[in-house]
Amino acid sequence: MIGTGVSAEVLKRMDAPAITIENLTKEFTNPSIFSRGKITAVDGLSLTVEAGHVYGLLGPNGSGKSTTMKIVLGLVVPTSGRTCIFGRDSRDVESREAVGFLPENPYFYKFLTGAETLDFYGKLCGLGGKMLRDRSRELLALVGLESAADRRVGGYSKGMLQRIGLAQALVQDPRLLVLDEPTAGVDPAGSHEIRDLILRLKQRGITVLLCSHLLSQVQEICDRIGIMNHGKLVREGPLDDLISIENQTELTLENVSPALLAELRERAEAGGARVLGAHKPQQNLERYFLDVTAEKK
Amino acid sequence: MSTEISAPAAAAHASAHKLFSLRRTWAIASNTFRDLVRQKVFYFMLVFALILIGVSLTLASISFQGQLQTVMDVCLGAMSVFTMLLAVLATAMLLPKDMEDRTLYTILAKPVSRFEYLVGKLAGVTMILLVATLLMTAAFLVVLHFWQGREIENLQITEPAERAAATIKLIKSGTFTPTLFGGIGVIFLRSVVCAALTLMLSCFATSWLFTVIVSLMVILAGHLVPIARSVWQGPVGAAEAPFHIAILLRLITVFVPDMQLFNVVDDIAVGMTIEADVFLRIAGLGAGYVLVYLFVGWLFFAWREL
Repeated sequence: MIGTGVSAEVLKRMDAPAITIENLTKEFTNPSIFSRGKITAVDGLSLTVEAGHVYGLLGPNGSGKSTTMKIVLGLVVPTSGRTCIFGRDSRDVESREAVGFLPENPYFYKFLTGAETLDFYGKLCGLGGKMLRDRSRELLALVGLESAADRRVGGYSKGMLQRIGLAQALVQDPRLLVLDEPTAGVDPAGSHEIRDLILRLKQRGITVLLCSHLLSQVQEICDRIGIMNHGKLVREGPLDDLISIENQTELTLENVSPALLAELRERAEAGGARVLGAHKPQQNLERYFLDVTAEKK
Repeated sequence: MSTEISAPAAAAHASAHKLFSLRRTWAIASNTFRDLVRQKVFYFMLVFALILIGVSLTLASISFQGQLQTVMDVCLGAMSVFTMLLAVLATAMLLPKDMEDRTLYTILAKPVSRFEYLVGKLAGVTMILLVATLLMTAAFLVVLHFWQGREIENLQITEPAERAAATIKLIKSGTFTPTLFGGIGVIFLRSVVCAALTLMLSCFATSWLFTVIVSLMVILAGHLVPIARSVWQGPVGAAEAPFHIAILLRLITVFVPDMQLFNVVDDIAVGMTIEADVFLRIAGLGAGYVLVYLFVGWLFFAWREL
């Protein structure tokens, strides 16, 4: 033990990466009675998610993303390899003290109200009393479900289910948030709000592991991405490094006259550069949609 | 959505993780109880009430001696069947439903062990069975009290005063006896054993229908356990069962609950007195069955891919 009363082991875990995956392989037995072979869902995967990062795990359906997530959460046992959460083996129940998880298309107990749902998940994390009540109220406000707090979850829309799912994932104030398609079924405004929320969580130092098919959203919020295909990690690294085109530069000008534009083009070509195109930049469809719908309010 | 996130409100909870937490288990148990109550499982009580009314009306129309005994017999029998059915049907749904709705993912992604989850589920069902048994007992006692009064009235009219007084004394001392309440306790314990058995089967079953069918079959087979035991333990000199049959019978006697053990309820229904040590032995064996089924269920569930 160190003088402050905090063990060296705990300090080591504080510095450990949020997620460490080492040579992870998962094989499932083929359920077909005609072919009893193995199906390899994850094949020798190794990656690290540093604390405080937003990491996007991408890949087509069946690429092994969800299996990887389940192994990280201790829901599935790996065939070989190891996964750790903040330095602790993710098969240890204790490792999940630090994790919040939102599965794809979550369903909760339909007979519970939104507030009761948070109360239930809070108790599973060892919370109780006033602390839990305050936390529930705060989270319901955070996800915009204050007015639906006393309605049964069975009557919630898909977007509302996603929001209450996000609130339950945050109930114990986790250091790591694992989100599987967090904006599936959510309207553009809700999706935008969830994106903003993830960014605010990142500012607070919370690590986020995100699986999503909405690549534009992943591009907006992730620091680093990994792309999986057929169970293997085929690309991995900082987002900017992976998608930047190194030999091209974009220049955005405002109020430029045709004459000035022609002159710029001439000078660029004289300097040995090739002008590939000149066009008016466009705002993205999501921004346009949000502006239009905000006007109608 | 609000744009503000306050400072970690819940960070203060961080403390040493307990391998088994009563708080977490209680959260799952109370949630299971609430789930079953809100699924209106107590509607079956209406059927039980109808049986009681039906029995009363039938007995009222045909006058004969021993009506009180018949009421006791029918009511205890109905309580046995209803609690067993409730135990199997309510428990069989729990795991498959949580898996299908993926609520199991969100629960086990929290710091909850699979053992705590199973214990919580069984405790929740046990609470439902306890409430159901208490409600049925209350209804049963009201009906029994009514028929006791009726039988006493009949005796006062039909029998000479002295003989009637002696019989009334016997009826009064022989109706609401500790044995009767012990029998109700046995009915409750049997339903808990059935629930534990069903929970164990649902830990490796792939559908709730399979669980229900197999559970009911095992419970039925449980009534044949003494016969199976007598065959492989057969009397000296008796023809021995073939080896594979003997092994099968041994397995049945080990893994299938001996439901005959709980059939003291039938003896109580016909007015027999059961000693306290018999109840204690039944309670011990029943608790043993529950613990074994819970442990075996956990072994299956701990390795199950979700």
